[in-house]
Amino acid sequence: MKVVTGVVGNDIHVVANRLIDISLQSRGYEVFNLGVNTYLEEFIDAVIETDAKVLLISSLNGEAEGWCRDLMVLKDKYKLQDIVFVIGGNLSVGEGDEGLIVPKFKEYGFDLVFHQVDLMEGLDMLDKFVKDIK
Amino acid sequence: MSNLLQRDREIILSNEYVDNFDFAEVEDFVKNASKNLFISHKFKTNKGKTLVQPRGGFPTYDKMYALYEEFAPVVDVLPMTIDSHTRLNDYGSAAKMLRLSEETETDLLNGYPLINQGYRTSRKMVTHFDTPVSLRHGTPDARLLVEMAIASGVFEIEGGPITYILPYSKNFPQDKAFLYWKHVEKVCAKYSTLNEPINRESFGPLTATLVPPCITIVIQIAEMMLSLEEGVKSFSVSFAQTGSLNQDLVTSKVLRKCANKYAKKIGCEDATINLVYHQWMGAFPRDKFKSDSLIDAGAMIAAMVKADKIITKTRAEAFGIPTKEDNAQAVSNVQYTLNMLRGIPDFSDEEEEENLEREVDEIFEAIFNDPADTLWRKVFNSIKSGIIDVPFSPHIINNNELITVRDKQSNIRIYKKGKLPLSEKSFKYEQSKIDLGENPNSVVNQIIKDIGVML
Repeated sequence: MKVVTGVVGNDIHVVANRLIDISLQSRGYEVFNLGVNTYLEEFIDAVIETDAKVLLISSLNGEAEGWCRDLMVLKDKYKLQDIVFVIGGNLSVGEGDEGLIVPKFKEYGFDLVFHQVDLMEGLDMLDKFVKDIK
Repeated sequence: MSNLLQRDREIILSNEYVDNFDFAEVEDFVKNASKNLFISHKFKTNKGKTLVQPRGGFPTYDKMYALYEEFAPVVDVLPMTIDSHTRLNDYGSAAKMLRLSEETETDLLNGYPLINQGYRTSRKMVTHFDTPVSLRHGTPDARLLVEMAIASGVFEIEGGPITYILPYSKNFPQDKAFLYWKHVEKVCAKYSTLNEPINRESFGPLTATLVPPCITIVIQIAEMMLSLEEGVKSFSVSFAQTGSLNQDLVTSKVLRKCANKYAKKIGCEDATINLVYHQWMGAFPRDKFKSDSLIDAGAMIAAMVKADKIITKTRAEAFGIPTKEDNAQAVSNVQYTLNMLRGIPDFSDEEEEENLEREVDEIFEAIFNDPADTLWRKVFNSIKSGIIDVPFSPHIINNNELITVRDKQSNIRIYKKGKLPLSEKSFKYEQSKIDLGENPNSVVNQIIKDIGVML
């Protein structure tokens, strides 16, 4: 299964990005990694171009919210309803309340939202989610 | 050719943020400058002593001056760390933030904005302290910055077309970086004929994240050759504490040996090659006592590898930019430790050294076999094709197939070699040291553990 991944916005946290890439590959995904400093539009372009089934966005510096508000609009525009949208990392500046953050990002159009969740745990949940829709 | 260079320099220096650059006056200044400002001179006259240099830079003249005052009694080399706007050639933002820093007495820049401060002002400070100053930056296009540095009396220039791109940038064009740095080398070479040589230093730590020694050494030597072939006469290769004492010793031996071997290969054996050691560049412990231990160990290893210079860290590393007092204290402690370790005996590990040297030679063989006509193009093509691959580089040109982990002795080993042109013998040696167990998640878990090895 094809996955597009990368770090959104002006965020250069490359270590986590590489670890996600390696982990997805070791779980059998075909990974298209756009790397750090990636804009939402670039993610959407890559999903269309590669015909990926999953988009996994990560963010560590806490600026994800500002970048992801338009996801719903883009989803409708390009008819991406069947794509699994995942976001994870540090989804707010500072500590952040998971109880508020998760519903907010789900409203933006993400299927799975991982705020400060362990990488392996998050990917286990992605594996399960993907298996359940099949 | 030199007329072309001069024309380029005039264009670069007729920048709206530069106040009337006087070429003749600057040349005269360099010609008559105090020998004490040249680190190349200090290396010669202090043979056997590891020079100690901290990191540091503040936006305003007053704070920079205060930092140098704090450092002066304990350091051998002063740092001039440049702010990030200047590194990206955004002198407008740097000017604004400098003004705000002066008005509000808070530091709104993470370093010294040399272009905005100007060379006439900066020179006053540098010549007052009469100690070598090292330019620390991270600039892909440093053509203007280096002119301003030399005009200020800063006669050591860190950086290079690979080491300032692959760890720092996502998409600055790598080929442009080679050409911009070629210009910098020519400028340094030109000034080197007037007095003592300008020293160029490469940035060996790279991403400071599980970089295997063969990659560090190949990149150090590639930048060294690109610099020497333009006429630079004094060059420092460097590497950072790997996290394994033995690997540090092995790396230093092979780096020194190969640097001399390849300088000779291109007919530049007349240049002086120095070795610089960076204390641990990865994530630091938050426990300050453990930080002290880590810094002590780094100082000890610098003595063991007989480094010509050590670049220090502080116990406050995990908490952001250190105060000048913390910084001076760290230098003073490192000097103390080094002093204790004078005359330390030589160590060697022939098997490891042989394997590492073979890896370096194998990679260089592939680089030299590239059909391109110039060295920088050969190196450029080798980065593109993954012959050179830097773990955890954010740059789009980097191949990202090389995967490394630590072995039981904490040595960084190659787990997946990607397109690295290692022979079966070399790669087998690496593999024979790795023990990960059966769990499919174990590579990633091991990497996470290995990155945080000093926490």
